[in-house]
Amino acid sequence: MELKTLCEMQGLSGREEFVRKAVKDICIEKLGSDAVSFDGTGSVIAVRKAKNPALPRVMLAAHMDEVGLLVISATDEGLLHFRASGGIDARVLVSKRVKVGYGEAAIAGVIGETPIHLQTAEDEKAAPKMENLTIDIGAKDKAEAEDKAPLGTPVTFDIPYTPFGDGYVCAKALDDRVGVYNLLRLLDTPYDGELTFAFTSQEEVGLRGAFAAGYRVQPDIGIVLETTGANDLGDVDDAFKVCIPDKGPSISFMDRSSMADRGLFKTVLAMAKEENIPHQVKKYISGGNDAGAIQRAGAGAKTVVFSVPCRNIHSPASVCCLRDVDAQYRLAQATLRHLMKG
Amino acid sequence: MDILSFLRESTQRFGPVGYEQALAKWLQEQFAPYCDEVHTDAMANVVAVQKPTVKSAGKAPKIMLCAHMDEIALLVTDILDDGALRVNMMGGVSSHILPASTVTVHTESGPLFGVVGAKAPHLLDGEEQKQSVKFKDLYVDLGMSPEAVKAKVNIGDMVTLHGETVELLNGRAASKTMDDRSCIAVMLNAAERLHKISHAAEVVYCCSVQEEVGGNGARVGAYTIDPDIGFVLDVTFAAYPGARPDTTVPLTAPAPACGPFIQRKLLDTLKDVAKKSNISYNLELNPRGTGTDTDDVQVARDGVPCVLVGLPLSYMHTTVEVVDLNTISECGRLAAAFCAEIEEGWDTDLWS
Repeated sequence: MELKTLCEMQGLSGREEFVRKAVKDICIEKLGSDAVSFDGTGSVIAVRKAKNPALPRVMLAAHMDEVGLLVISATDEGLLHFRASGGIDARVLVSKRVKVGYGEAAIAGVIGETPIHLQTAEDEKAAPKMENLTIDIGAKDKAEAEDKAPLGTPVTFDIPYTPFGDGYVCAKALDDRVGVYNLLRLLDTPYDGELTFAFTSQEEVGLRGAFAAGYRVQPDIGIVLETTGANDLGDVDDAFKVCIPDKGPSISFMDRSSMADRGLFKTVLAMAKEENIPHQVKKYISGGNDAGAIQRAGAGAKTVVFSVPCRNIHSPASVCCLRDVDAQYRLAQATLRHLMKG
Repeated sequence: MDILSFLRESTQRFGPVGYEQALAKWLQEQFAPYCDEVHTDAMANVVAVQKPTVKSAGKAPKIMLCAHMDEIALLVTDILDDGALRVNMMGGVSSHILPASTVTVHTESGPLFGVVGAKAPHLLDGEEQKQSVKFKDLYVDLGMSPEAVKAKVNIGDMVTLHGETVELLNGRAASKTMDDRSCIAVMLNAAERLHKISHAAEVVYCCSVQEEVGGNGARVGAYTIDPDIGFVLDVTFAAYPGARPDTTVPLTAPAPACGPFIQRKLLDTLKDVAKKSNISYNLELNPRGTGTDTDDVQVARDGVPCVLVGLPLSYMHTTVEVVDLNTISECGRLAAAFCAEIEEGWDTDLWS
């Protein structure tokens, strides 16, 4: 499945149904219906049985959900107030287009702001607050707004997937459709041990799906395919750059949710170097991901995270380098190959 | 002319302040079907003339309708070592709207897609987190190496914001540059109507340049057109969350201005015409300057009596400017009815 198709799907945390269906169908097509199931949080778990049970049981994981908004109320004028689903800085929301509702029933909305002409000096200096922003769907009044977009209505960013520059792409939801895209490409990768593909739910609201998936699978090794904020551009002090696009996926020794298994981390670095796969070590301890849950689920697992550097992560216009997306796939493949050698 | 189709196309056309030439050429083609002559002047103002269809005994009154064609934009002010661009505004662009916006950088070798980034939230200290993003902390990412960027981009290159037209409920639409292409739509709508009815006045449509930096085009346009009456169209502030009700007007009806810059008797005529034509409106008070081309047209040559009709618009100077399509049509109907009403002797009691 194309990355474009995956990014343009709507899939908030707990509302991953479109991605889940697409992923499930592909998994069944490749691995058969017996291999595919849902866990109690709506994650898709696809298991490839071991040809050689002596090999480590590996779980590859990527999350299906994306950050977005949820409608909470309507004003008398018919504008919609909202809350974030996942971590969103209100600054990226001003003057943006959104889809209110899901699928065929979705309607267009825009997030406006006080015109610059009418902003006071304080308004101009202050960061916009989420509770002061509203979505305009063109409703005439509160009753019409509540009818079209009742409390809890999911809202996703509306931006076309746009390749640009020298091998880059701008889209919503690159976090973590990039991982989902690569996980689907890995469904038939060679590995003789038991290999589980976990397309997890609800990562953006606290790794919910990965806790359940990790518990069910109980792997020896968990490999998480993710994206991570790059923060490399705009004269940023080197000490604050997290990672740099077009230098390969970043391999974390630690982030705010997990510590990589030291042995696995060193092995992967040595292997990537040997196989000449672009990679970098994540330089700043920030962000968190499903590894935090998989590492601690049940009896625990060794984990490592391969993250594609992503600029403007958790915004409508996130940016990744497609060469890094490909390198993440090759790095996962090579890691499995290496584990097979023992 | 289909208003929505015109907006879909016109709002996406390149026309930053001072860079309106290509847009002017396209707009000439839009006015041509309804007009007797169309040309551009030295500043690239588009001037389209409908000659009177009813003969006057003396000189036919000349009405200048005016709406500006230029748009707010950004320009490249610096190319950083990492290949990112710093930008600043051409016309009033709030830095609030820029983080995670997409843009086009217009270079000599062609347009480049760019994404506006800002310092990441988790790296801001406590004080910074409470502040809006400033231009100095914003950058445009072109997804290219610093060398490639430096080979293509020059300081001073124009940057336009993206914001395609989307339809909202109740006949409303959102887009970039509704300010003021939606008022060009009003003029075209009026031109189409006047083309079909008789009028004693000569009606001259001026799509003015450089309004966003202060009425430069309108000043020159009004000098060369030399009208008897100025009829300016520009967007005005519709309601937004938290606005004081007396600072905005509803989206759903034309908003003629009143105040010292507006000729009182002409405004009375406008109100009478609205009443006769069954067009509802909401008056808007401009106690001093109007902040539109009116301020320049009024003092062109030895003075031009003016009226100003505001088209209410939400979220002005963002990329999601909202207008009501029916209000555009109503503004067009009002402008056409006003022009049709003006005939010889219109100024008899003007200053009494």
